[in-house]
Amino acid sequence: MITSKTEIVIGRVLLALAVVLTLIPLVNMLSAALQPADRNPAGLTWPTDPQWGNFVEAFEVGNVWRLMGSSAFIVVCVVPIALLIATLAGYALGGLRIRGARAVLVLFVVGLTIPFESLIIPLYYQAQGLGTLNTQWAVIFPLIGLFMPFSVFWMRAHFVNVPRELSEAARVDGATMWQEFVRIQLPLALPAISALTILLFIWTWNQFLLPVVLIADPLDRTVAGALTFFQGQYYLSIPLLNAGALIIIIPAIIVFLIFQRQFIRALLQGAVKG
Amino acid sequence: MTTTSTSSAPRRAAARAAARRADLAGWLLVLPALAAYGTFVIYPLATGIQFSFYDWNGIGAATWVGLENYITVLTNPDLLGAIRNSFVLVAFFTIIPVGTGLVLATLIRTMRDGAALRAAQTVLFLPQIIPLAAAGIAWSWMYAQTGAVNQILNAIGLGFLARPWLADYATALPAVGLIGSWVLTGLCTVLLLTGIGKIDVSLYEAIRLDGAGWFREFITITLPGLRQELAVLVTLTMIAALSTFDIIYISTQGGPGRATLVPGLLIFRIGFTQSDVGLASAFGIVMMVLVLALVLPIQRLARIGDR
Amino acid sequence: MRLHMSRRSRTVVGAAVAFAMLGLAGCAPGASAPEETDGVEVSTELTDEEVVLTIADETGFPVTDALTEEFTRQYPNVTFEITRDTFQNLTANAPRLLAGANPPDLIRLPTIGDTVKDGLLANLDPYYEAYGWDAWPASQLSPLRMSEDGVRGSGSLYQLGLGYSVTGIYMNLNHAETLGITEPPKTIAEMEEMMDAAKAAGILPIMAGDSDGVVNFVVQALMNQYADQDEFLSWMFNEPGATYNTEGNVQGAEKIREWADKGYFPSDINAIDYFTFVTRFSEGEGLFTFNGNWAAAGYQEALGDDVTFFLAPPVNEGDRFIAMGAANSFSVAAGSDNLNEIVYFLNWIHTNPEARQIIVDITGASPGGDPSLPLPEVEPGSLIEKALEMSAQIGADNGQVDFMANTTAGIYAGSIIPESQLLVTSQITGREFVERVQAFYEQEIGG
Repeated sequence: MITSKTEIVIGRVLLALAVVLTLIPLVNMLSAALQPADRNPAGLTWPTDPQWGNFVEAFEVGNVWRLMGSSAFIVVCVVPIALLIATLAGYALGGLRIRGARAVLVLFVVGLTIPFESLIIPLYYQAQGLGTLNTQWAVIFPLIGLFMPFSVFWMRAHFVNVPRELSEAARVDGATMWQEFVRIQLPLALPAISALTILLFIWTWNQFLLPVVLIADPLDRTVAGALTFFQGQYYLSIPLLNAGALIIIIPAIIVFLIFQRQFIRALLQGAVKG
Repeated sequence: MTTTSTSSAPRRAAARAAARRADLAGWLLVLPALAAYGTFVIYPLATGIQFSFYDWNGIGAATWVGLENYITVLTNPDLLGAIRNSFVLVAFFTIIPVGTGLVLATLIRTMRDGAALRAAQTVLFLPQIIPLAAAGIAWSWMYAQTGAVNQILNAIGLGFLARPWLADYATALPAVGLIGSWVLTGLCTVLLLTGIGKIDVSLYEAIRLDGAGWFREFITITLPGLRQELAVLVTLTMIAALSTFDIIYISTQGGPGRATLVPGLLIFRIGFTQSDVGLASAFGIVMMVLVLALVLPIQRLARIGDR
Repeated sequence: MRLHMSRRSRTVVGAAVAFAMLGLAGCAPGASAPEETDGVEVSTELTDEEVVLTIADETGFPVTDALTEEFTRQYPNVTFEITRDTFQNLTANAPRLLAGANPPDLIRLPTIGDTVKDGLLANLDPYYEAYGWDAWPASQLSPLRMSEDGVRGSGSLYQLGLGYSVTGIYMNLNHAETLGITEPPKTIAEMEEMMDAAKAAGILPIMAGDSDGVVNFVVQALMNQYADQDEFLSWMFNEPGATYNTEGNVQGAEKIREWADKGYFPSDINAIDYFTFVTRFSEGEGLFTFNGNWAAAGYQEALGDDVTFFLAPPVNEGDRFIAMGAANSFSVAAGSDNLNEIVYFLNWIHTNPEARQIIVDITGASPGGDPSLPLPEVEPGSLIEKALEMSAQIGADNGQVDFMANTTAGIYAGSIIPESQLLVTSQITGREFVERVQAFYEQEIGG
């Protein structure tokens, strides 16, 4: 391996710089959140007397329990259903290689490039027509549909790489298609499924546009969608606004820190597959 | 995309029968996903196209106006300005993160996969995890008159540059763009680093023995080796740039003036505040076409390289 | 995540879209308007059954909390559910909330817009008769009326106010003393002299913000003095042919440009939102600030006796006062299941002494209603007392004009805010400001 010393040094310095730049806004949020709530802080200064109570107050004023509950409900509805139907479809398109699979796949893949903003107006009137408007279902149903392009694509990419010999061997042993799917394919697909689970969780939890438009009561939205409500609720206090914002991003960060390896791998594979 | 592999002649008949059974079962398995996608993506898309030909306030009766809404989108200076702004954002969402990622990944490609690197990766990924709306809140505060950016500038003797970054006509759009850079640089770096790791090390050794410098090595080995990752990242970040909504909605609402107005915000405003559903739908369709028009050539380019 | 589209697959997609389109062709979007609730018999008696009334309100507007609490205390069988969202979200969602299957009984609705035409608001005329609201000041109610052809100012009553606001100028008396100012300016010219003095002494002349458009308190306060009141109002009420592009409005806007050029506004004005400029004035920054009665209690608390409140001065001394003022307008949904109950609540707010006291205490706004009713008690010499006097003065001068931000649903966010941001930072002239707002108005009204 031949690399010059300067390259290595510059590389590490730049990496360190990138890390610091990434952290500053987050640290700044924390430092602001810990300032006395009735004064607007100046810049990035660590408070002399950290007001951890701000988090408690932000939690109560912001109805965070209810918001978390609402977010959790949306996540619990969206993620398993999306996973299930995407896995089945991915298996059919990648594992069974049915006729017409290519056209179906292309139909899904085109969906990857549709910005949510292009669909938001019709989605609104659709929800109105279905009577789901201003309920969590107005976000849940469309999200499942909107996640399909990526999820199906993702699961197909897994199944298409499973060696055909495996399923042929199972068939020879007399296994039905269902048995083969449950006993052989599903266990093999677990890493792909768990990675997709993490991605879908984060995307749902952080979804902003749909809840803001489709659910009028901010307390029935996802936590990200409720940030506008926080802006209104904490208008007088930058410390409380920052405390509130930190509280709602913490669950996602915890999930990330626990599953970070799977997560990074998931995102990377997700990006490159295909 | 793979094609069905050919099997040997004697097994063909049996295989065909199995394939037919698999076809039927397969289609049943695809159906739920297709239904969800059709109902909540394709159908709204079609209704959006339909709305775009009408003048409709969302509640009363609608009037057919043909292409009038599209003409408005393509001639109204405010709407065109928003499209232009979103192209400026591409520089910050795509060029800066991918560029920085390339430089960083190239320089640290030989770094051992130790705890330090892993910790760095974790941190660089954090912006991917938090909602863009929260990033908007964090950065609005950074950019404020009394915020950290001006504080740092003052501390290093550049106080004359201090300003309310999001309220200054010259800096608002770049400032918003840099929020995008902040969110996306980590993703680009980590992805490109992984990509570089897959390039055969002997290629690098060979070219160095050849006496090539850093630049030639970069052009002849690193760039071609990362073609696929680059195509993915450029696509991903461009879509993010053109469909920015969360950050703008939280931080500037399109101001000052219309300096940071973007299509996403305008669609929301025209469609819901102004209740001009037809115009907003037409804008949505134009936006989708724009994304496709930008993304397809990149995909084609990446594929030509493959051959 | 790569896109592979062969010609064949593109045909497939195209066919799918075309197929979906076929199914839709021929049927225009748009449901029939919801039916008017004419099944309910108008009653001024409150039910003794358990009722839950729903209210959609904006954040940072606590008066509905206090009012509903008091109402439930007096009538325990009636309880309330209040949902809140930011002003911009609420205004964006209001028409669709009202059109939904479960509309809120009462909703904060700054602009009527198309909602009357679409049959979304309950017509309050029957209650006007039943409760005898004809004893209330007609000028206060006229902006809350809308005719059948969508012109505000006359026709049936569709809204009532939870308090009726008045705007004016707050002056920091500490700075005034430093500058030798002993009483509020009587003319615009006099006010400009004071601001020149302040500028020279290093005191910010006007504390204002415009990241969310609130500098328009200043813009319109000036326009009011130059413009013809009826002409200005006819535009705000969307009368056919009415225009914003009048000489008076141009003069007012040019004055703003002049003030911007002279540096009367904070240099980071476009970064300052409503709450920031309120906070900064409360902390002693700025000689003047333009705001409404609703800010009186807060300023009093922050600045004590060092602040006063007065109406924007006219061009010539002794001319009558013109000021923006409006009902804190709420509408009843046409689809409300509790029409009688919610209107009883509205009437109660205008007539019940406790309710009127709450309105004044929390908002500093005039409670409205029958002028012969006793006014709530306020602390003598307080800013709120001044606000009530100002309301009375404007009433006597018949000088109330609506907020121009309420002219159409989209004009504030779509035009007035961005153009005023350009105006107060000297990027466009006053004439350009007026012309651009009028162009947007025509496009929105016509389109």
